[in-house]
Amino acid sequence: MRWHDLLGIVLQNLQRHRSRVFLTTLGVVIGCCSVVIMISMGIGMKEAQKQMLAQMGDLTLIQVSPLSQGKKAAQLTDQTIELFRQLDHVEAASAKLTSDAVELQLVTQNDQRYRSEYISIIGLSKEALPALGYQAKEGKPLLSAPFSILGGRYFAYSFTDSLRPESSNRIDLFSALYKEEKGSLPEPFFDPMKTPLTLTVISSDGHPLFTQKITVSGILEEDHGKYETFDGILMDIKDLQQLLDKANPGKSKKNTYTQAIVKVRGIEDVAAVEQKITHMGFRTSSMESIRKPMEKEAQQKQMMLGGLGAISLFVAALGIMNTMIMSITERTREIGIMKALGCRVRDIRTIFLTEAGLIGLLGGIIGCFLSLILSFLMNLTAAHQPGLLNQFQETPWIENTPAALSIIPFWLLLFAIVFSVLIGILSGFYPANRAVKISALEAIKSE
Amino acid sequence: MSENRPIISIRNLRKEYSMGEETVIALKNINLEIMQGEILCIFGTSGSGKSTLLNQLAGMERPTLGKVRIGHCLISHLHENELALFRQQYLGFIFQAYNLLPTMTATENVALPLLFRGINKKQREQAARKMLERVGLGHRLDHYPKQMSGGQQQRAGIARAFIHHPAVIFADEPTGNLDSKTTQEIMTMITEFARKYNQTIILVTHDPEMAAYADRIITLKDGEILRDVKKENFI
Repeated sequence: MRWHDLLGIVLQNLQRHRSRVFLTTLGVVIGCCSVVIMISMGIGMKEAQKQMLAQMGDLTLIQVSPLSQGKKAAQLTDQTIELFRQLDHVEAASAKLTSDAVELQLVTQNDQRYRSEYISIIGLSKEALPALGYQAKEGKPLLSAPFSILGGRYFAYSFTDSLRPESSNRIDLFSALYKEEKGSLPEPFFDPMKTPLTLTVISSDGHPLFTQKITVSGILEEDHGKYETFDGILMDIKDLQQLLDKANPGKSKKNTYTQAIVKVRGIEDVAAVEQKITHMGFRTSSMESIRKPMEKEAQQKQMMLGGLGAISLFVAALGIMNTMIMSITERTREIGIMKALGCRVRDIRTIFLTEAGLIGLLGGIIGCFLSLILSFLMNLTAAHQPGLLNQFQETPWIENTPAALSIIPFWLLLFAIVFSVLIGILSGFYPANRAVKISALEAIKSE
Repeated sequence: MSENRPIISIRNLRKEYSMGEETVIALKNINLEIMQGEILCIFGTSGSGKSTLLNQLAGMERPTLGKVRIGHCLISHLHENELALFRQQYLGFIFQAYNLLPTMTATENVALPLLFRGINKKQREQAARKMLERVGLGHRLDHYPKQMSGGQQQRAGIARAFIHHPAVIFADEPTGNLDSKTTQEIMTMITEFARKYNQTIILVTHDPEMAAYADRIITLKDGEILRDVKKENFI
C-alpha cells in the first residue's frame, strides 16, 4: 500500500467520528498543555533564580584569599596569580589591593574647590579589567593612561563643595537616589570626566605626604555584585602599589596580596576551578555555594511540576486507547473486508497506529498553541502583580524580578509535540494489535 | 481446453471446531479438484459445512488436517502476510452483505483491491470506473453505498471482485439479500464475466435455483460430499 493511500484511509476514518476524535484530541490538548505549562513554569523559576543570583554578584567570579598569615601558608603573589590565570577555563585573574593602609584625599586640580576625603581605592590589574565585566556609563571601562581611575556610578557625589556652608556643601546621595527613581537625578557639582583631579596621600599624623595628578577615564555602570561600581574608585594595581610603597617606604616589598579575583569562562566550570585553587592552598568563595543547592531545588520542583503535567497526558493516552478500541470494535467487519481483499497485516497495523499518532499530533499542536496563549496570559497577569511572581518564586527580597512566570523555549514545543505523537502511537499499539487479530472471516459472516 | 487443468485441489481436508468440551466436525474428509474456468456451486443446507469449506478454500481458516492448493500455492499453509499477497493477486470475493466500505464512494470501493496492491490512484480509479460502467453503474461512480440499492451495491461488489482479474472468485450467497429479478441479473453478470476471462467461480448457496448457473454442483451434507454433478451439456 502506498503511504498516501494509507493516510487517506486514516483521514477518512478520523473524519467519520469527528466528535469522538475531537473529544479524544481535547484530552491530549489538555495533557500536552499541562506538561508544557508546568515545565515552562519550572524554566521560569530557574531563570528567575539565575537573574537573582546575577544580581547578587557575578556568578563566574571566584574570590581568593590566603588561608592564614603564617609564613608556611601559600601566599598570593604575582606568580600565583599567573598560575591561576593559566588554569583551564580561567578567563582572567587579578590580585586585589586596597588603599586602606593610607589616608587619601581627592581634590579638583584647578580650583581646589571640590574635595573628597577618606577615599578608598581598589587596585586591579588593568589587563584583567575587560574580562571582569565592568561596564562604563561614560568613557571607557579601561585604565590605559598611567594614574587614571575609573569612578563608580555615584563617585562624583562624594565630593563636598568647600565654598558652601557645611550644612549644604554636599548632595545627599540617598535623596538623590530617591529622586533618580522618580526620573530626575540631580547633577553632581562638577563633571568628573572633564575635570583633572589631584590625589593627596596623607601621613598617619595628618600631614600631606605627596600628591599625584589623576585623570578619570570612565564612570562605571552600577553592578550590584561589585560595590566599587557604586561610589568606589578603581585604579591599576601597579599604580596603586607604587603610591602605597611611596607612602610607606620603610615597609619591605614582599609583594604579597591579601585578595585575588579569578574570572571563569562559564558557570559550569566554576566548581572545578574553585576546587583546583583550594588544592593550591587558598580559601575561595563564589556564588557557587549558593547556586548549587538552589539549582538542585529548582530541578526538583521542575520535575514535580512536569510529573503533574505528565499525569494528565497519561490520562489522555488512556483516552486515545479507549477511542481506538471503540473504533476497532465498530470496524471489525471493515477490517475483515480489508483483509479478505488482500490488505496486509502490517498495513492494518499502520493504519491504526497512524490514526492514534495523528490524534496525538493534532492534540500536541493545538496544545502547544494553547500553551503559548496561556503562558502569555500568565506572564501578563504576573507582570501586573509582581508580588504574585515573587511569592511563587520565593524571592520576595529581590525587587522587580524581571523574569517571567512561564518561559516556553522552542525545544519545549518541539518536545511536547513529539511526546504527544509518541503517546498517541504507544496507546495505539494495543488496539492495533487487536485489529490485526481480527480474521477475514468476520467479513464473510452475514449478520 | 484450459478447463481441463485443475486450479484448486483439496486433499483429505478435515476441519474440527472445539466448543468447550465438545468437538464439532465441520468437514470430515473432503477430496476435490476444481478446474480452471469452472463455475462450481457448493450447495447445502445450513450446518452442512459449506461455509466452512469456503473458508478453507479462501484461506480464511487453517484446516485441522489436509491441504488446499490453489495454483501452485499451498494456501492452507501460507503465512498471513503471504496470504494477503496471494489474495491481492489471485482471489476475488463477492459477499452476501455486499460489504462495501461505507466511507468510500463506489469508485473507491471498487478500486480497493488495487489500492492494497499499491497501484496509484489515477490508474486504479480509471480501472474502477471502467469496471463500474461494465456492471452498469456508470451513473453511480461517486455514490456512497448508503445511496445505492441492494442490487446496485452488489453490482459494485462484483466490479470489486473482478477488477484485478483474479483466477478464482468466491461468492458467498451473493444474491441472498436480493429479489428474484435482481438475482437473475447479478448471476448472469457473474457468469458472463467469468466465462469471458476463463475465471473460476466458487458459488456457495443454499438456494437450489442457483444451481442453474453452475457447471458443476457439489452437494454437502454433514461435512461430506453427498453428490458431485457435472453438467455435460456445457462445452
